Amino acid sequence: MTGPIIRIDRLDKSFGALKVLDGLSFDVMPGEKLALIGPSGSGKTTILRILMTLETISGGHVEVCGEQLFHMQRGGREVPADEAHLHHMRRHIGMVFQHFNLFPHKSVLDNITLAPILTKGEPRAKAEARAKELLEMVGLADKAEAMPSQLSGGQKQRVAIARALALKPRIMLFDEVTSALDPELVEEVLLVMKRLAAETDMTMLLVTHEMGFAHEFADRVLFFDKGRIVEQGPPETIFRHPTHERTQAFLRKIIAAGHRV
Amino acid sequence: MAEWSGYLTLILQGALVTVQLTLMGSALALVVAFLAGLGRIAPWGPLRWLATAYIEFFRGTSIFVQLFWVYFVLPFAGASLSPLAAGVLALGLNVGAYGAEVVRGAVLSVPRDQREATVALNLTPYQRMRHVILPQALPLMLPTFGNNAIELLKATAVVSLISLTDMTFQAQVVRAQTGSTLVPFLTILVLYFLMALAISAGVRAFERRLTAGLDGVR
Repeated sequence: MTGPIIRIDRLDKSFGALKVLDGLSFDVMPGEKLALIGPSGSGKTTILRILMTLETISGGHVEVCGEQLFHMQRGGREVPADEAHLHHMRRHIGMVFQHFNLFPHKSVLDNITLAPILTKGEPRAKAEARAKELLEMVGLADKAEAMPSQLSGGQKQRVAIARALALKPRIMLFDEVTSALDPELVEEVLLVMKRLAAETDMTMLLVTHEMGFAHEFADRVLFFDKGRIVEQGPPETIFRHPTHERTQAFLRKIIAAGHRV
Repeated sequence: MAEWSGYLTLILQGALVTVQLTLMGSALALVVAFLAGLGRIAPWGPLRWLATAYIEFFRGTSIFVQLFWVYFVLPFAGASLSPLAAGVLALGLNVGAYGAEVVRGAVLSVPRDQREATVALNLTPYQRMRHVILPQALPLMLPTFGNNAIELLKATAVVSLISLTDMTFQAQVVRAQTGSTLVPFLTILVLYFLMALAISAGVRAFERRLTAGLDGVR
């Protein structure tokens, strides 16, 4: 594909009277690593949740891999997407959540193989071989038979990353994946993500409060406030020479709170 | 003494009918509970209304009246049932209505995070329910299902009113023939209690098996 892999066009999202996204537009190119930063409530997590179809949209269009995400053509007219269309679109996208959301009743291995077996009809042996490769990659080869409750937060999050990768999505969404972790466990998760960014051509969107990591990881940083992009550009520009007053104020606050930039 | 053993045999025969009613009624209640409980949270409106109407109706009227309708009124509509079939049907539908609310409550209490993970992994709605939601909801349902089964066991006594020879019916027979109230009713008191104990123990054992892998989750 030569064009953008994600096109967001005049996207609106409201929760009741609260407008979370306000006429938002931006494109993401294939293979791009994007960091979405901004104060809480600025709408950045909502964008990821919309891309994962966990939220509906209130207006506008979202295009993924050249197809409309929330609309489809029927009889020459554009109509809201049905579950079958959403199912068809979701195969492009994987997501890692703040609270891992592992299935507590399934072993680490079964957490990873469940979706490939069910949604792609992969034979169990093949799915398990791939799951073990992924566990190797995230440094948890010895935990295949463990239950999620026996793992630390950092280990759980690494399993969640392996689980999302098992479906080989072209786009990966990371929603504050280290926010729920004890500080000493953050690094092991970030390391896995750095390797992933370096070794694959997956498109990645990252919502984070780890500015140091965003700086290192991203090709482009989008600063959000009140449902709009205030400022965007290469990390060097956004973090070292932000032009917008609100970006400067936000970064000052983050630094004052003790985070590295 | 020989005479009492004959009466005891009579009561034990009745106990067999009671056990039979309890097992078959519970089986029906279980099926109906899942159908109506999942129907209540289905995305399709008419299914939700149907399930809600069933639940409200069978919880809102007495088992006694329901039994009479099934056995004495349905024949006018051309559906004649044996006393056993009528008893199982009335008990199953009545207790199933309570069970449906248990199923619904347990399914809804599985954290939203879990459902979102199944969407992100692109499972179909059926697969989400079958592989992720129900396995976590089932252990939550079991204790209340055990209560419901015991309620059903005790409710079987009403079937003596449609001439089914269950344990309570036989105790009445013995009482009429011997003039003793204490002996037959003490006997069935103990038997009901033992059956209820057996249900409790069975459900607890099943619960332990189901939650074996879920240590430390909740």
